[in-house]
Amino acid sequence: MAINIKSFKEGFLRLAPLVLLIYICISEFHTQFYFWDIFSFNLQFIIIYYWVLRDPSILGYGFVFICGMINDVVLSLPLGTSPLSYLFVSLVAAYVRNATVRSTIFTDWFTFVVAILGGNLITYFLIKNFTILETEYVSVFYDSLFTFILYPFFWGIFELYKKIISLRTYD
Amino acid sequence: MATSRDDFGIAIRSALLQRGARQKFSLFVLILISICIFALDNTQLKAVKSLRSLLNDGIYRLSAISSSPIKFTTASKDFFVRHVSIYEENEKLKGEIEELRRQELDNSYLQTQNKQLNAVVKLNEEFDFTTVSAKIMFDKNSPYLNSVVINKGTNSNIKLGLPVLSKGHLVGRIVEVNYISSRILLLNDLNSKIPVVISPNGDQAILSGIGKINPSLDYLPENFYPDDKNLVYTSGKDGILVPGISIGKAFMENNRIKVKLFTDPTQIFLVNVVLSKSRKPGKM
Repeated sequence: MAINIKSFKEGFLRLAPLVLLIYICISEFHTQFYFWDIFSFNLQFIIIYYWVLRDPSILGYGFVFICGMINDVVLSLPLGTSPLSYLFVSLVAAYVRNATVRSTIFTDWFTFVVAILGGNLITYFLIKNFTILETEYVSVFYDSLFTFILYPFFWGIFELYKKIISLRTYD
Repeated sequence: MATSRDDFGIAIRSALLQRGARQKFSLFVLILISICIFALDNTQLKAVKSLRSLLNDGIYRLSAISSSPIKFTTASKDFFVRHVSIYEENEKLKGEIEELRRQELDNSYLQTQNKQLNAVVKLNEEFDFTTVSAKIMFDKNSPYLNSVVINKGTNSNIKLGLPVLSKGHLVGRIVEVNYISSRILLLNDLNSKIPVVISPNGDQAILSGIGKINPSLDYLPENFYPDDKNLVYTSGKDGILVPGISIGKAFMENNRIKVKLFTDPTQIFLVNVVLSKSRKPGKM
């Protein structure tokens, strides 16, 4: 009985990043604020990048794809736009995981630039060329910039969380 | 050199094709599926549209349910703040009463001005609106679109392009219709362009969203400078929007003429979608 409760607790804790990602995609959770005018960031990118890089067993690619689809519906983007950008972020994370022996916050942070730029570029390119929606370079740039700046903050939170649930870093 | 290129190739191939670590799909397969879905969604086939509409309805409902804790928190915070600031509000209201008394003296002047304004924009004296009320299910902003989703769709005769009012003022228009939900493109979105008329002179302009809270006025007459009397209304020049719906007040900000909307787009909760306009009996 005690073992069952423990495994249930562990399973639940391991699901939390995925639940958070789905919740951010589907709910009204705002990461863009009018009162700061330029401040917005992409929390989905941070979650996907961190967990695919540090522990891919927690965040499956299939779920990343589904979250992207949900995000497209909620934001009224053409279906497939967000999955492509999220999967690109996952690809960069998976590449870094395969290519590096021992990753630190600095290696994670600087390789994250490639993921953000690539992910946002894919979204921007698809929207610009295949829809009639108008977009601003500046707002996408600020979104990318603040996502990059905030990464170490969330990295710290996720590292702490990972230690709490005593996960082994994926090799 | 060749070794490092090989390493890169191996790492990329491994990242794309390897499943491992409880992954059920490889990245490569999912990227291919995404491209196929994107291509299908862009074909605008009727079957795909219907499927998307169904998907939208389902996810919007789920989204509304999952957003309820956020809505509850915001409502609780507002309620608490309102009660805390009741003394300040009382003082403010006293001031407002004084101001209203002063303004009463100018009432006759304003009535005359109002008549002139109505003559310029041909306001509600000529038209009646048939509207349908709807509730905002959720609003989510992104760098790409400022829009909200309402809980009425084709089941309530809502169609693409219809204007949407909140507290009697224009807030946007319908850009997506599903069976039980629709999406409103807000006036402050980059993609929003609406022909307007500015009182009291009847100057024509285009109200363009700029992604900020206040949209701007483009194609104004030369040497136009806004003052307190410059109210903005729909002109109906596009043949879609009903003329004479109030929008906001023109003002100058950073050398750009903007419009302070009468209804704050971040604060809307209930809206009325204008289904049709009809001439009032006895008016020509």
